[in-house]
Amino acid sequence: MQNRAKIQRPLFEYLILTAIFFLLVAILPANTSVMQDYGLSTHQYHILLFLVELPLAAVWFAAFFGYARLSQYAASVSNTAEGRGYEKLARGFKWLAFGLVIPSIVSLIVNAIADKHPNFHATAIITSNYLTVFFALVAFSIISNASRTLNHYKKQPDGLVSNKSILLLFVTLAVAFCYLIFRHVAIAAGITSSDNPYYLPIWLLMVTLVIPFLYAWFVGLLAAYDLGQLAKHSKGVLYKQAVHLLAGGVSIVIASLIAIQFLRSVIPRTGHVSLNLVLVTIYLIYIVNVIGFAMISVSASRLKRIEDI
Amino acid sequence: MSEDHASLYQKVVRITNVYLGPAADRFVTRQVQNHLHKPAEELSVGDLEKLIDWIRVAVSMLTEDTEIIEEYTTQLRRLIKVADKHSS
Repeated sequence: MQNRAKIQRPLFEYLILTAIFFLLVAILPANTSVMQDYGLSTHQYHILLFLVELPLAAVWFAAFFGYARLSQYAASVSNTAEGRGYEKLARGFKWLAFGLVIPSIVSLIVNAIADKHPNFHATAIITSNYLTVFFALVAFSIISNASRTLNHYKKQPDGLVSNKSILLLFVTLAVAFCYLIFRHVAIAAGITSSDNPYYLPIWLLMVTLVIPFLYAWFVGLLAAYDLGQLAKHSKGVLYKQAVHLLAGGVSIVIASLIAIQFLRSVIPRTGHVSLNLVLVTIYLIYIVNVIGFAMISVSASRLKRIEDI
Repeated sequence: MSEDHASLYQKVVRITNVYLGPAADRFVTRQVQNHLHKPAEELSVGDLEKLIDWIRVAVSMLTEDTEIIEEYTTQLRRLIKVADKHSS
């Protein structure tokens, strides 16, 4: 009974949030600049927006299903040594799933307001950026904490920064991110100038967007690494196979989300739909993302079956 | 006597640990309780044959790798042989 609730509740949350999102797609006023750019009528605009956003429903389903399966497994091992770690991991994936949907819903609303009231445009962009970084920070921090808890239980040597390839990957990512972000910013205008596509003074952009994103990605990469270590050192052939799949899925999800957040940050938001190469690239990354969530679902099911039989 | 029974249970768990890792203890306890209808600590040599049959069925649901299943049940069967040797 409790197990069924563990899977039903996330799926119910998914249905409600997705319904709200697509209702907003249908009823919010059409964006005038998109209609002009692509020569669309209001009706055509709504169809275009629906089609562009439709793949997101599949991504969100994969995310909520993954979180549901993890919650189910975490509940089945709640009284064991590794239970706390898996409970935290499930909670992290809950934030990750909500972090995919909530910013999209809020963006739709604030961008619709900004279209009618141009003075609100900056607020809309800032809100969307801050929501994305907030959810990334919370979700990746909890997942990282979970993987450390699981590794602590396994009594593995501290994996923190012991792998130089993680550090190299992160430094490369950070340098590229800073370069691509500050390319859009007129640094000569002064540190307090907010004359940039992020509508934030440079110091605030640095402190509240760039650094939090880099921190979130760093803990995300560490979480992936720690889970990889957990899988490597796990005992039990069948258990290890499932944990390997879980670690692989988590790594793919974290890497693909970092890639999407990276792209969405270095190519500033416009506040409306743009049919361009960036959109296609993001769709391709979302496919990888779905594969990662599917791997998590399958592995959590396998782990759960070990506890059920 | 009770120490002997406990150690037999521990031996089964130790073998199971190679296949199910941290879930081994819980898995064996469940098999004994659900199929032999007794507390895991009261597992006796006489129960092993039946337990191994149930474990074979359970593990077949977890993997299709017959090599793993065979290896696992062979390890468990060794416990019966060792026990027989001791009793004779």
